[in-house]
Amino acid sequence: MMKIEAVIQPSRFESVKDALREIGIEGMTVTEVRGHGRQKGHTEVYRGREYTVDLLPKIKLEMVLPDALVNRAVDTILKAAKTGKIGDGKIFLSKVEEAIRIRNEERGENAL
Amino acid sequence: MTTAARPGFDPAIPAAKNMQGSPTPLSVLGPRADAERQRIRQQFEAGTGARETLRALCELADHNIQQIFDDLLRVHNREPQGLCLLALGGYGRRMLFPYSDLDILFLFGSERAEQESRPLISEFSRTLWDLGFRVSSAGRTLEECKRIEEDNAEFHLALLDRRFLAGDSGLFEKLDTKVLPASEKQARPFLLAQLHRLTRERLTRYGNTIFHLEANVKESPGGMRDYQATVWLRQILDEKKEIRKVTLAEEELSAAAVDFLSAIRCFLHYSNGRNDNTLTYELQAAAAERALGVGDGISRNAAEWMRLYFRHARTLNRQLLRYLEQKSPVPLTLRQRLLNAARASRVEPDHGNYFMVRDGLLEVVDQPAFSDRAVTYSLFAEAARTGTPLSREAERSIGYILTHPELPPRNTEMPWSILHEILGSDYPGVALRPMQRLGLLTQILPEFGMIDSLVVRDFYHRYTVDEHSLRTIEHLQELADPPDTRGTHFVPLWKTVERRDLLILSLLLHDVGKGMPAENHITGSLAALDSAARRLKLSPEEKAEVQFLIEHHLDMSATVQRRDIFDPATVSAFAQSVVTQERMQRLCLLTYADIHSVNPEALTPWKAEMLWQLFVATSNHFSRTLDRDRLHALDEVSLLERVKALASVAGTEEIERFLEGFPRRYLAVHSAAEIAAHFALYQKLSADPVQTELIATRHAFSLTLLAADRPALFATIAGVLAGWGMNIIKADAFANAAGVVLDTFHFADLHRTLELNPSEIERFRKSLADVVMGKAPLEPLLKSRESASRARTPKVAVETRINFDDTSSAHSTLMEIITQDHPGLLYEIGSALARLGCNIEVALIDTEGQKAIDVFYLTAQGKKLTAQKQELLREVLQGTLV
Repeated sequence: MMKIEAVIQPSRFESVKDALREIGIEGMTVTEVRGHGRQKGHTEVYRGREYTVDLLPKIKLEMVLPDALVNRAVDTILKAAKTGKIGDGKIFLSKVEEAIRIRNEERGENAL
Repeated sequence: MTTAARPGFDPAIPAAKNMQGSPTPLSVLGPRADAERQRIRQQFEAGTGARETLRALCELADHNIQQIFDDLLRVHNREPQGLCLLALGGYGRRMLFPYSDLDILFLFGSERAEQESRPLISEFSRTLWDLGFRVSSAGRTLEECKRIEEDNAEFHLALLDRRFLAGDSGLFEKLDTKVLPASEKQARPFLLAQLHRLTRERLTRYGNTIFHLEANVKESPGGMRDYQATVWLRQILDEKKEIRKVTLAEEELSAAAVDFLSAIRCFLHYSNGRNDNTLTYELQAAAAERALGVGDGISRNAAEWMRLYFRHARTLNRQLLRYLEQKSPVPLTLRQRLLNAARASRVEPDHGNYFMVRDGLLEVVDQPAFSDRAVTYSLFAEAARTGTPLSREAERSIGYILTHPELPPRNTEMPWSILHEILGSDYPGVALRPMQRLGLLTQILPEFGMIDSLVVRDFYHRYTVDEHSLRTIEHLQELADPPDTRGTHFVPLWKTVERRDLLILSLLLHDVGKGMPAENHITGSLAALDSAARRLKLSPEEKAEVQFLIEHHLDMSATVQRRDIFDPATVSAFAQSVVTQERMQRLCLLTYADIHSVNPEALTPWKAEMLWQLFVATSNHFSRTLDRDRLHALDEVSLLERVKALASVAGTEEIERFLEGFPRRYLAVHSAAEIAAHFALYQKLSADPVQTELIATRHAFSLTLLAADRPALFATIAGVLAGWGMNIIKADAFANAAGVVLDTFHFADLHRTLELNPSEIERFRKSLADVVMGKAPLEPLLKSRESASRARTPKVAVETRINFDDTSSAHSTLMEIITQDHPGLLYEIGSALARLGCNIEVALIDTEGQKAIDVFYLTAQGKKLTAQKQELLREVLQGTLV
């Protein structure tokens, strides 16, 4: 099992979600986050006041998938989240040792 | 071993000595209780009313308790002296729902009696559990009942519903007639304060509204707890005689509501098989199907049935709130008292003594006068203006007048002029909320009735559609003093928004289509606007503005969530769709309020920030691209035709010449009628080279001046206004291709010179024309004002900031000045610009409290300003404005 964490542009969220649904992935955790990477923030001035936008809004998706699905999921996210500009986001993969469903204590991939 | 086969007590516990016989075994009691429960349920499902069902369940519990208790006394060879059992809370009131707890108090005559009773009590409790009763018990000695347990107000409140069950009746008598009356009297202020606290906390937990899509029929506002809290308040306050007696009609309404809600609660318990009081979508449909609580056996759709639910919930909630308001258990703080005194403010003389402010609430003084709706409306206008809510008593008085036709109503129609005043005030929600409860809002705006208590099942909204709509307005008025940081950015937008009345009207109507058969709710809402606009006699411009806001009410949140708001193309496209800054400000506030009112968590700080960023980016886009987009009259065929018709001229050539080359914003901020009026002035220019038009608006004057461009024109006009003591709030300066300048100034007449002396208006216009034409000098005018205006110390210090921007416009240099506002400021800036040979192509002047925010598009000899000139200008202005 692998855990996929993808930090993407908010504007790409709907497309990524739809694309994942098409390959059968519906369960995921979505968090509204602020990112601070190489994409430079900027300052907006409104009526004499400066508003710093150095932490840019992003959406973080998290999902744990059976190994067989991971590559397809990553490809799908890459395709749907890419605009080619700086700030498109990142995907992180990590190994998951165990998953347990609290309701019936099922373990492993059955619990996903 | 199964439960039913076990004897009625646990053999593991050592039995007391001298046991006599055995208790009735569980194998007998259990099936008997189950059968009785089954019978009660079947009867309920066959249509027996909730009241009978609750009584039967209560009798079942009573009977079992008495039998088990008697059995155990016998087995333990004990007399009941010194021990008795009381039913408390809902069970004490004989309102026992199928899966509710049995609240039981074991009362002991002494500590010794308590010690001796322990084995018996544990067997008793266990047996009841095994019979399927959920026991929630407490034990107290008589002595302990005299004390107030300050951390356990719930227990004292439950004691108010005490009822004798079994055991030593003499002991109960003592408690009931001697101990508790004395301690309850002493504890009254404590109980009252605690009941207020607990109730307020509960109501707040549920957002202070009855209109939940999946209500909890016990705990939500309007639920059974509201009824119970009302009964307790009446019990506690009873001797004080402070409460006006509840009328028979109100009692009947309340009893019907209790029956209805009790039926739902029984139904929920039976359906869920546990004490779960949430009226879920699925169970709403099932309840509607069987006409639950209605008794006519006619199936309804869930939405219709829920309206009945909300009607009953409203009855119970309204009654509770009225009692809660009767007496504030906590003395008012000095700040609150001062605030109330400030709110009391003036009562307009023409309102006579129809209403007044007491304890921070509007009270009706002369009830019969309210048969004149004009008086009623003036009360609501006062509430909206000052933010002072109506007391429940005032609402009740008006409700009485509205429903009792002995006093024939007068002036029933609310004209747009009054509604516009209410909607345009600082606190429109304070008036609209009671207007809705009293049915007045739907009389004035019948379209709103279509979403009355309407449940829309989308698993996102938490409230009914009407509640959601009213909440949007309340969230905006909260911006006067925002409760959390999510609103911080939007505070200045709310304070400075223009045509707030149209924004609020849009919010009232934006979701009305959800109550209509239309496929898309926006289409329905727009149809509702058509009829409302006709009835209210909105001008075409007013209607168009509301129409835009309704039609596009989802656009800004869609842009924020589905587009990259940091992409200039997104911002540009969005700016094009909203056309003007003023409109975008209204749309932004509408979006903020709309998301905020979906449910308490819907507007995350993240979303609020994104919305704000889009607003800022678009706003900057507007002010930086102003002169890029010039008007070409030939492209504006329909406008030319409209202006032609309004101006009654034969051809459009002259109009074309007039319009050619104005910034596109000119069209966006002026209606066809205004443009026609400007054109009429333009036509007179040849006869008289300075044309002016002065119009008094609600809070200010608006001056339009047309003249051929000349050096320092803008500064001169600003100077004349300053010389007359006028404070410029807002100004636009546009020039067309032929060099005709059209300046619009909105100014406040600080000394009320023009308002109090109408004859001065002509002198003011003449003075303006003379100075602009060079026939009269400006300096003497300014000198007379100088000393007075400079002497005042500003309340807030604003640091002067001057920014130049060469990139936003292709032809001009933008200069943005933020500085301390003061009379004559614009004259000072304008004069400095003129002295340095700068030409103002476009000017946008605005004020925000004590802060002036001015943007100028400048050229010098037809080109952008050089870096040296910018530096020089900065130096001169910094020196002048500090």
